[in-house]
Amino acid sequence: MSQAQALEGQDTLLELENVHMYFGKVAALAGVDLQVRKGEIHSIIGPNGAGKTVMMNCINGLYAPQKGSIRYKGETINPLKPHLRAQLGISRTFQKIELFGGMSVLDNIRLGRHINLKSGIFSGSFYLGKTKREEIAARKFIEEEIIDLLEIESIRDKTVHMLPYGLQKRVELGRALALEPELLLLDEPLAGLNLEEVEDMARFILDINEEERWKVTCILVEHDMGVVMDISSRVFVLNFGNRITDGSPEEVQSNPEVIKAYLGEEDLYATRR
Amino acid sequence: MSHVWLPCGDYHQTYEEDQGWWQTTFIKTKMVLLLLVVFVGIPQFLDDYWISVGTMVGYTAMGALGVQLLIGYAGLITLGHAAFIAVGAYTSTLMVLQVPWPQFMIDWGLAYPVSILAAAVTAGIWSVLFGLPSAKVKGFYLILTTMAAQFITVDFILTQYVSQIGGRGQAFSLPPGTIKIGPWIIDTETEVYYTMAVLITLMVIVLANLLRSKAGRAWVAIRDNDIAAEALGINIVWYKLLAFFVAGAMAGVAGAFWVSNTAALSPEHFPWFWSLWLVGVILIGGVGSIHGAVFGSIFMVVVMELLQMAVIPLSIYYPKLLMDFAFIKDMAFGLAICAFLIYEPNGLAYRWWQIKNYFNLWPFSY
Repeated sequence: MSQAQALEGQDTLLELENVHMYFGKVAALAGVDLQVRKGEIHSIIGPNGAGKTVMMNCINGLYAPQKGSIRYKGETINPLKPHLRAQLGISRTFQKIELFGGMSVLDNIRLGRHINLKSGIFSGSFYLGKTKREEIAARKFIEEEIIDLLEIESIRDKTVHMLPYGLQKRVELGRALALEPELLLLDEPLAGLNLEEVEDMARFILDINEEERWKVTCILVEHDMGVVMDISSRVFVLNFGNRITDGSPEEVQSNPEVIKAYLGEEDLYATRR
Repeated sequence: MSHVWLPCGDYHQTYEEDQGWWQTTFIKTKMVLLLLVVFVGIPQFLDDYWISVGTMVGYTAMGALGVQLLIGYAGLITLGHAAFIAVGAYTSTLMVLQVPWPQFMIDWGLAYPVSILAAAVTAGIWSVLFGLPSAKVKGFYLILTTMAAQFITVDFILTQYVSQIGGRGQAFSLPPGTIKIGPWIIDTETEVYYTMAVLITLMVIVLANLLRSKAGRAWVAIRDNDIAAEALGINIVWYKLLAFFVAGAMAGVAGAFWVSNTAALSPEHFPWFWSLWLVGVILIGGVGSIHGAVFGSIFMVVVMELLQMAVIPLSIYYPKLLMDFAFIKDMAFGLAICAFLIYEPNGLAYRWWQIKNYFNLWPFSY
C-alpha cells in the first residue's frame, strides 16, 4: 500500500517493547513489541481472548504491565496514571460503551474537554469571566468541530442512555475526540453496528486520521476484517499474548500463520462481505 | 444545559444564551418572585415561630447541600456530615470567644464573618482528612470511614478536649452582642433568618456554578463511571478530595451559622443521627439535584413541625406523646423515608420536574 510506504519515514509515536502482562499465572501479553508511527491507522486483530483489549489498557494506563516498557514520543510512560496519559494526548473509546448514561450528549462531550479547561475552583464557584469564556469556547469547539464532524446535531440535548447503540458509539468517539488527542485508541468501534453505521464510522475514522485539522494517529482493535483491511496502514496480529505478525494488510492476509491461527484453516473469511 | 422550553419561534442565537441561567422572561419573573418571598415575604409577614421554622429549613438545607454534593453528585456516600458541621461551629465559636480581636474588628462587626470563613476552611480541611480513604475504598468501606469521622470528631475530640477549653465544661455560650455582622447584632429571629437566607443563597449559587463548570462535571463523571473519567484525563483522587473539601466547607458555614441561631454550643447538637437525618433529607428531596436538598429540607422540617402541632392537642389525653416526641419524630422520619423509597424513589425534585414538564407542554400530553 502506498500509504504505508509514505509513512515509512515517519517518527515512531508509540512504542511497546517486550511488554508482559500477567493475571495470576495467565500471560495475557507475553512479550509484545509494537511500533506505531505518526499518522497511521494501526489495527490490532486476533481471536477472542488474544489480549487485544489488555494491550489497549496497558497503553492507556488502566493496567500496569509487570515487565516491558511503553514509550510515547520517546518517553517512558509506564509509571503514569491514565489521567496523566490523557493529558499527554492519548485518548480512547471502550469496547463496551462507557458513556455517562444520565448526562446529555453535550455534557458527555464537554467532559472530553476537561483537560483543556484551565480555570480554577474559585472562578468556577462564581462563574467568573474566565470560567464563562472557557465554557463558551468549549461549547463553540464542540459544536463546530465535533458535533458537526460526527453529524450528531439533532441529538445534542438527548440523554445518552436513551440513544440507540450506534449513536452511543458515535458519541463516545466524539467524547474521545474532544480531548484533541494525538493518539486515539479505538476498541471495537464497529462492534454491534449495522452496515450503514459501520460505513459511517469507518468514514469518521478515516476523516479523523486524514483531515489536516485532526491528523490523529489511531490504534484500532476490530473484528470486522473487511474494514480493517480497507482502512489500516498496518495490521498487528496477536494470538495468546504473542505477536504473530505486523505488516501491511496485504502481507498479513497472505501470511500462512495468520490464516492458520486466526482466520481459520480455510480461506480468509470476512464478516459481512 | 438547555433543558428550558422556549416559546415557539424563539431561538437561542449565541452559545451564551443557550448556556445561561434564567433563559426566559417567565423563568426570570418566577425566580425574582421566589427571592422576594424568601427575603421579604417570609421575614416580614410571618410571625416569629414560622420565621424560626424557616431558619431551621435553611440550616437543614445548608447541611443537606453538602451531603447532596458528596452523595448525589460525586457518589461518595457519607454518614458523618454532622462532624464537619460541628467542626465549623466550634471553629467559629472558639474564634469569636478566644481570639484577641483588635477593637476595630469588633466595632466593625468583622469578627464573626471572618470566623465563618475560617470555619469553612477548617471544616473543609477536616473533611478532606476523612475523605483521604476514598482514594482507595468505595461503597460500604467509605461509609464506615465517614462514620469514623463522626465518632472521632464529635464524641471524642470535641466532647473530651475541645469542650474543656476555657474551663466551661460541656457547653459554650456566646455572650449577647458577640455575634455581629457589620453594624447588625444578630439576636432576633428575623436577623438570624436573614443571615441564613444570605448564606443559603450564596451556597446554592456556588454549588450550581460549580456543577455547570469543570469540577461539577468531573464529579458526576466519577460517580457514573470512574474508569471512563480517568481515561478522559480526570484526576479522580483530586476531584474526590475536592468534593470532600467543598462539602466540608459548606458544612463549616452551616455550623458557624448554627451558632448565631442558638448562641450556645454543645456536642449534643451534632449527634450521629443528624448525619443520618441529612442523608434522609436528600433521599426524600431527590438525590442528585440542588432542588432535592432544598425540597427535602422544607418537607422534613415542616412535616415535623406539623406533626408536633398535631401532637400538642392530643397530649391532653396522652401526656406521654409530647414527652416522647423525639421518638415519634424518629418514627416519622423512618416512615417518610420508607414511603419515599417505595413510592417516589426519585424524590420530590422529580415530582417538581414532572409538574413543570406538564405545564410546559400543556395542553398537549407530550
